[in-house]
Amino acid sequence: MFDADENTGSNGLRILWMILCGFGIVLLSGVITGFLSVHMAEGGSALNTTDYAILAAFISLTLALAFAIWRLFRQMKRSDQKVPQREKVYNRFLIGSFLFGGVTGIVLALTGSFDATEASLISNNAMSPMLAIILSISIGIIVPAITFYWHKNVVDEQEEAAYRLGALIAMYAFWFIAPVWWFLWRGGMLPAIDGIALYFITIFVALIVWFWKKYL
Amino acid sequence: MKNQLKVLRAIRNWSQADLGEHLDVSRQAVNAIETGKYDPSLPLAFKISRLFDLPIEQIFDDEYTGEQDV
Repeated sequence: MFDADENTGSNGLRILWMILCGFGIVLLSGVITGFLSVHMAEGGSALNTTDYAILAAFISLTLALAFAIWRLFRQMKRSDQKVPQREKVYNRFLIGSFLFGGVTGIVLALTGSFDATEASLISNNAMSPMLAIILSISIGIIVPAITFYWHKNVVDEQEEAAYRLGALIAMYAFWFIAPVWWFLWRGGMLPAIDGIALYFITIFVALIVWFWKKYL
Repeated sequence: MKNQLKVLRAIRNWSQADLGEHLDVSRQAVNAIETGKYDPSLPLAFKISRLFDLPIEQIFDDEYTGEQDV
């Protein structure tokens, strides 16, 4: 029928690969940073040929993944000659959210609100009161307001159904994982239940199901 | 659920994006309905029916053969 139509379904796979490549870049950046940190901790002498080779390999891999994302994005753009109005709003919203998140992260890093020694936001380490307040307002007020608007005006019924199924399966995942973890902790086989870990597990399950139902 | 959506929009020479624009849904939604991965809500089914000026049962086929109880 239309080439663009045939590509619509496969765009889901392209997006999945782009996300995986993105995770790969984050992981490789962590490896490179860790490698340099260890080197600095050991005295910070000049890098030898082997060190350069290792760094070059990791940087090359990172660039290759970035290139793959760019190629996949180009392919998606080629397959998306025409986009319905609702989808345009959807895409603008997504780009806006990514930009807002990125800019917020950079501002927090530049203003010193987020200390790199706190390891990451995803930990139980102490954080500065200012950062705690900013994050609480973001997650407790701004994100719910955006989410309300998102569900009310942006997503269509097929995606809404994907969200519902994702939420249902995530709820069951929580219901089953939490007691199993608790029993295994009582049996001395696991550390105490970590609420934030459970939170991320449920979000991850919901996201996987949502992606599967929306795109695949 | 099987349906005639792909055929109907081909007659009008519409892409999935065109149909999505008419129905105010995404191309993914049109694609999911066409491939039977997602059954539209009753309001959306009526919207599709009005758009193509056909009764719902001529667009969607629930494969009822008359041998079942309902």
